[in-house]
Amino acid sequence: MSPTQTAAADGSAAVAREVLSMRGIGKSFPGVRALEAVSLDVRAGQVHALLGENGAGKSTLMNVLSGGFVEYDGEIRIDGVPVAIHHPRDAKSLGIEMIHQELNLVQDLSIADNVFLGRELRTGRGTLDRPSMHARTRELLAGLGLILDPRRLVRRCKLAEQQLIEVAKALSQHVRVLVMDEPTSALADAEVRRLFDVIARLVDGGVAVIYISHRLEEIDKVADVVTVLRDGEQVGTVLQGSTSRSELIAMMVGRPMGELFPRPEHPPSATPCLRVSRLSADGDQAQGRAALHDVDVVVHEGEIVGLAGLMGAGRSELLQAIYGAAGRRVGGQITVGEKAYAPRSPAHGIGRHIAMVAEDRKGQSVVPGNTVRFNASLAALRRFAGWAGVDTKAERVAVGDVVTELRVRTPSLATDITTLSGGSQQKVVLARCLLTKPRVLLMDEPTRGIDVGAKAEIYALISDLAAQGTGILMASSELPELLAMCDRIVVLCEGRVTATLDRDEATQERILEAAMARQVVLDTTTSTESLARLIDSGDR
Amino acid sequence: MTGRAATAARGPVTARERWARVLSVLGSLQGYIGLVLVVVFGIVSKGSTFFNSTNLTNAVGAFASRGILAVGETLVILTAGIDLSVGSMLGLASMVSAILLVYEGLPPILILPITMAVGVLMGLVNGVGTTVLRIQPFVMTLATLSIFRGVDRQLSDNVSVGTQVANTSGQLSPHSSQFQAFGTPGHNFHGVYYPVLALVVVVIVFQLVLSRTRFGRHVYAVGGNETAARLSGVNTLGVKIAVFTIAGLLAGFAGPIDAAYSASADPLAGQSFELDAIAAAVIGGASLAGGRGSVVGSLVGALILTLLDNVLGLNSVSDNLQLIIKGLIVIVAVVIQRPDLISSVAGFFRRSLHRPQPTGGAALGTAGPKEES
Repeated sequence: MSPTQTAAADGSAAVAREVLSMRGIGKSFPGVRALEAVSLDVRAGQVHALLGENGAGKSTLMNVLSGGFVEYDGEIRIDGVPVAIHHPRDAKSLGIEMIHQELNLVQDLSIADNVFLGRELRTGRGTLDRPSMHARTRELLAGLGLILDPRRLVRRCKLAEQQLIEVAKALSQHVRVLVMDEPTSALADAEVRRLFDVIARLVDGGVAVIYISHRLEEIDKVADVVTVLRDGEQVGTVLQGSTSRSELIAMMVGRPMGELFPRPEHPPSATPCLRVSRLSADGDQAQGRAALHDVDVVVHEGEIVGLAGLMGAGRSELLQAIYGAAGRRVGGQITVGEKAYAPRSPAHGIGRHIAMVAEDRKGQSVVPGNTVRFNASLAALRRFAGWAGVDTKAERVAVGDVVTELRVRTPSLATDITTLSGGSQQKVVLARCLLTKPRVLLMDEPTRGIDVGAKAEIYALISDLAAQGTGILMASSELPELLAMCDRIVVLCEGRVTATLDRDEATQERILEAAMARQVVLDTTTSTESLARLIDSGDR
Repeated sequence: MTGRAATAARGPVTARERWARVLSVLGSLQGYIGLVLVVVFGIVSKGSTFFNSTNLTNAVGAFASRGILAVGETLVILTAGIDLSVGSMLGLASMVSAILLVYEGLPPILILPITMAVGVLMGLVNGVGTTVLRIQPFVMTLATLSIFRGVDRQLSDNVSVGTQVANTSGQLSPHSSQFQAFGTPGHNFHGVYYPVLALVVVVIVFQLVLSRTRFGRHVYAVGGNETAARLSGVNTLGVKIAVFTIAGLLAGFAGPIDAAYSASADPLAGQSFELDAIAAAVIGGASLAGGRGSVVGSLVGALILTLLDNVLGLNSVSDNLQLIIKGLIVIVAVVIQRPDLISSVAGFFRRSLHRPQPTGGAALGTAGPKEES
């Protein structure tokens, strides 16, 4: 919608040449247009930040650049020459290296073996030239300020060290464009500073860096130019420093949301249906699971409570702990209705009329290759149990009703769920929850990866459910969604509640502020400890 | 791919999708097509020598115990597991049945429940090992394959136990004669050849269990997406233990049949039966990744294997060649099952033919389409 402001970036820094130019990049997934006509110009010796909410299209754009997709629209030029990038190999041969958010290291190989993976140095006889690889690795690591034995197993390195090993791996080749996707999400402050030093040195050496983050304070420090994406479209490209933080936030989140969120005013009842107090759970860095510390949340009947926070703040972990998916590792008290409840398993949670829409639809919800009916009734089969197995007639009626009610667009109940659009699949997942007749509905990113029309329908459904007295606890990375839908918003940061904002006092700025209230006492010892514990227990 | 090429490629998409759909239907029917082809081949080459009830009954009867194993194997494979020990479990069960018959003089009506209980116990060991001890199913059942075989041989002292026990007048004892009804050709059970009857009943029961019961749904859910199943309240551990236990139960059921069919329990009985069971499941459309397949499919797979053996035997094809053909059938079956076969092959050719090679900047300039900058 809004005109791209690429002109703003052209004014001053016209000296450096453009290493990379992406023009009109578009990419569709089944049911979703993930990117629409995005253009990006990156110059040598510059840090170009990509800013946007989760799902804004940052990672998709960078996956296009690094050869993650066979097909996309638009044109990419390197040094002014059009290139075709259809495979990670193509990107590598053009000097484009990407460091993914999830580290791509083989845990049981040594540092040197990881750095040279796929490009091992060999001696004249064809065997591995370990001495050269070790020497070169030591050199690369030293350049990043790391003194580590190249023969050390990656498994034995701290997470921050692993992050830098990824950088070393990227630098071991001729790099022209280095993409870093949320490189600091696992790092403590001191390590972040070291990473920024490394970036500064790379930039001095003429490398173009594309830096993806949603931490504004980091972008302040490190970026020269900022491009903001929203809903797969380019909102603008501005010079860092020419725009204030609040303007950047406005660019990130501002969108027309009038008719998108049909939330009729209705007061939630004063009866709590879910009360969580002093809930704590251990984290696990190796599995990317955040810890929870003394979390208090109350959800009343008919109330929609939002859970806000950055990635890794513990939103999903909290929902899973309440649902029972975290097993018995959870400490603290939970009360559902009037009864105390110590979650054991999802089956236990369902028995207490708690339902959950999981975060990752493909990985955690959909059973592929099976029908809509199979997927919708999976959690509620007990309801249809007859003397000779599942009463398919009753099942078909019940599933048909809820599928009609949710307006799932499917040719029939016998359709394979994977052929449906993302929005319809999500509605089937919602149907699965509703068939268990929940009193408390936990939702983790209920509208991730679905198009605007389906989003509006899901918002309407959530409002209806609340109006019928269901208590809803909904985690989302999309602030406008939370602000428009929720009666109350609980903000998490690093597993702690840092703010609880009522509907009339919640603003995007206050939420972001609370979400970034990182505790300075971040230490690296905890991560090493948990890693060591993991190794000792011999777990994977 | 550039904008122009992408739009050009959009044209034939519907045609390709239609192809993919036709192919996926073919994929789900391919088991039956294969079976029809085998039968037609048999009739064309040998006519009524092949297509008469005696020959067909004998062919299926010879495979019945392996077919029953394939049913249990299918359940395990549906949950994305594998059971390599079914052959050993069958061997041990057949040995137990022969020992009970010959040395303990038990009637067959008691022997069958006992061997099934032994099978349940063995299956439980597999199930607990893979879930509670978190040993990969392949490894766990590889170990028990060896263990159960060792117990079998220890019990028998490496000597096979004949199940045809004659009494003083030179006739079969009543128990022995009843036992022989389990599998010896000619000894029919209410007019039906018992192994065939047993196979058909087992297939029907477990097909119904899979398609009609909650447990069946849970089996598919665990294999299709274990996380989703767990989050939907499915006791995934219990389901996994149960399928291994059922595989053991069915091996215990098939053991006496195998002993009666061979008229003796050989300490090596059932060796490599697990491979036939897995092959039958795979030919019948089961995916080792789990979540796909059916018991009826595995029956069809088993029929293809056994009838092909039979037809090739009647045509005096050498054993060695038969083995080769059997292997090729497995490969062809698995490739044809792929729903995206045509589209992926087409996509591969399209890319390798039209794709500019991004080796150097200069070459790229000519390959890429000209667009206004």
